[in-house]
Amino acid sequence: MQYVGSYCSCDSWFSQLRKVKKISHVFHFILKMCLFPPFMWCCNICCMDSCSVAWEKRKDYAKHSCWFMLGRGLKRKLSDYEENMAGLSSAFDSSRNLTYPLKRQLVLNMCLTKLQTYRMLVEPDLHRSVLIANTVRQIQEEMRQETSQQPVNVCNGIGLHSQNYPGVDSAGISAQLLSGVNQQESNCCDSRSAEEPIENGLLMVSDDDMSSAISSILKDLDFMEDISPPTCLVPAGDDQPKSPENVGLKLEDDRQELKGAECVFGSFEISNSTSYLKDLAIDDIFEDIDTSMYDSDFCCPPLMPSRLPPATTEETLKTFPTCNSSPTNNIQICRTDLSELDHIMEILVGS
Amino acid sequence: MAGAGGGNDIQWCFSQVKGAVDDDVAEADIISTVEFNHSGELLATGDKGGRVVIFQQEQENKTQAHSRGEYNVYSTFQSHEPEFDYLKSLEIEEKINKIRWLPQKNAAQFLLSTNDKTIKLWKISERDKRPEGYNLKEEDGRYRDPTTVTTLRVPVFRPMDLMVEASPRRIFANAHTYHINSISINSDYETYLSADDLRINLWHLEITDRSFNIVDIKPANMEELTEVITAAEFHPNSCNTFVYSSSKGTIRLCDMRASALCDRHSKLFEEPEDPSNRSFFSEIISSISDVKFSHSGRYMMTRDYLSVKIWDLNMENRPVETYQVHEYLRSKLCSLYENDCIFDKFECCWNGSDSVVMTGSYNNFFRMFDRNTKRDITLEASRENNKPRTVLKPRKVCASGKRKKDEISVDSLDFNKKILHTAWHPKENIIAVATTNNLYIFQDKMN
Repeated sequence: MQYVGSYCSCDSWFSQLRKVKKISHVFHFILKMCLFPPFMWCCNICCMDSCSVAWEKRKDYAKHSCWFMLGRGLKRKLSDYEENMAGLSSAFDSSRNLTYPLKRQLVLNMCLTKLQTYRMLVEPDLHRSVLIANTVRQIQEEMRQETSQQPVNVCNGIGLHSQNYPGVDSAGISAQLLSGVNQQESNCCDSRSAEEPIENGLLMVSDDDMSSAISSILKDLDFMEDISPPTCLVPAGDDQPKSPENVGLKLEDDRQELKGAECVFGSFEISNSTSYLKDLAIDDIFEDIDTSMYDSDFCCPPLMPSRLPPATTEETLKTFPTCNSSPTNNIQICRTDLSELDHIMEILVGS
Repeated sequence: MAGAGGGNDIQWCFSQVKGAVDDDVAEADIISTVEFNHSGELLATGDKGGRVVIFQQEQENKTQAHSRGEYNVYSTFQSHEPEFDYLKSLEIEEKINKIRWLPQKNAAQFLLSTNDKTIKLWKISERDKRPEGYNLKEEDGRYRDPTTVTTLRVPVFRPMDLMVEASPRRIFANAHTYHINSISINSDYETYLSADDLRINLWHLEITDRSFNIVDIKPANMEELTEVITAAEFHPNSCNTFVYSSSKGTIRLCDMRASALCDRHSKLFEEPEDPSNRSFFSEIISSISDVKFSHSGRYMMTRDYLSVKIWDLNMENRPVETYQVHEYLRSKLCSLYENDCIFDKFECCWNGSDSVVMTGSYNNFFRMFDRNTKRDITLEASRENNKPRTVLKPRKVCASGKRKKDEISVDSLDFNKKILHTAWHPKENIIAVATTNNLYIFQDKMN
């Protein structure tokens, strides 16, 4: 399997994209974001600790470059930075092969990454944050309009349960696309049965989530002295619900998080442009990936507006300390999940 | 005089360059603002380290009729120091965001300089005489024993080496929650405004403990924030009128006589978007980075990322003139967004007669547009044309296709070298152009 061999290098990730032939550009971006030293592929939980520490240390780095974070823990060399600063190397601009939805997805990802980076800064620039947030809203609105015209394609019976996680491509975050589905409003914080929340959670990332994510960023800009948790940003799903090849990713159950701490969950969806992904055994690739590390930086707001009155949103945010500040809890939660999975697998396979 | 155009009519020559030669730019030396005073004799620059350097034009040399006086350092002082906001645990940068001169009323010069949070009024005065012949003090300042004094004399002023002193006369602090982006002195010369991202305050130059809030666009719920103030300026003639621009590409003209809080504009200047140019970045590139009234007060100029627009104050629905600064970047917007260049805030300026406008670009290029002849020119600020009176060669960027000789392709532009700040002498064809850490002065060729 040809992975992105040069994930450790400091080259611009867009130029990296061009080099590898097999995998799509977007894939590369996603992979690069997820990747870290090789052991991450298998043993992601251990990474989370080092990752969050590295993340903390990178705050200064953000000051140096206005560059958004590329791979965690990998400091871009100044020479590379300057080299790339001097020129224009975006695949978006130079490639004519990117379809409109793909371009849109790229832009959205960039926006969200930037917003996240700005959150890490001591004092984010209000002007830039507002401009980026508006761009995100605009894209979101566009996607919403598109999906409201498309027939809803819900992958209902695909056992969106944690048990089947390893092998199943869940509907992931095409939540906003599945506008016909009421669960759009629900969130993974429902503490109902074990299965339901996951299913709901998978569909949970909706426009409201995105909006509330943006809102909380803006709110935090107002309260600069607060040490609010970085609210979570979730890249929106792409708008082609036909193929269930999206990879649903790790979800956290609300029960644990209501212990009063944080939640680390995120739904992260890779563009499911089928033409790119069909010839690859996606299940194989992503079976082992735990993108919870990615998620920890892009985690969802813990509570959805549908559940809480808006006035308490800020309060709520405060009660959820950052992923960074309490990595151990995250690990615990993830470990719980995995051990549950293991247990279930044992039952299914072992007996 | 200053009526000449920017196209073929005028030839710009290198005059001087100020600043360090080496490529290693110390961050504190990055020039953040450039401003001529009302007579043009003084040129002030502010940098990221909080310092203000003022250059003075030499009196024209009668023997050297070919060139106008050179600008030499007149005064240097530390205007702002880095501060720490203990309440928010934030460092307040000392970078000088804007300098504005007051018109000269007596021998001393006054200017306002501002960083993100605090505005200061500085008095720059000369001292070229000093009193000598005190009865009770020696020349070096030691006190004499009164018993040794046998005769009395009247102290007299004797000439001394010129000393320029800068002293802070007023400090206007604690009025802005967000970062100040503009200051503008009113035509009454008694009041001025300061604008941050969400609010504009009106000050009296004599009163430091109080300011009036005249514009507040902060929503009750910050989550609904979609627009910020990017620049503001008083009208040059009407002391009740000012404009402010927003990140959405709109300019609002307000009349302070209408109400105390000018949240409702009197005029709204906005150009409808061109649907053929729509992209994901349309809003970002429409954000106005600078707004300047013409000297006459009839027009105003706005700078957004790709263009300069000239508006007639009497027409709100579209600008009367639009000049493309670097249209070849339109297809590169995503890359520019990726490296944050799309957020660069370019300034613009008018010449003394309002016939030519100038603004900066990348690769140390700057552009001039002649409003009468409709010609434009691209010049480069570089140390390569170092000799005084060397005529600058026009530059051209090749957008696509075959690159002609002497043209530069878009991909080889250096986006680290940007000219954000430019200034034009109010009466003559002398321009000051700031690259990252150097200040270039160009003059027109005098024959």
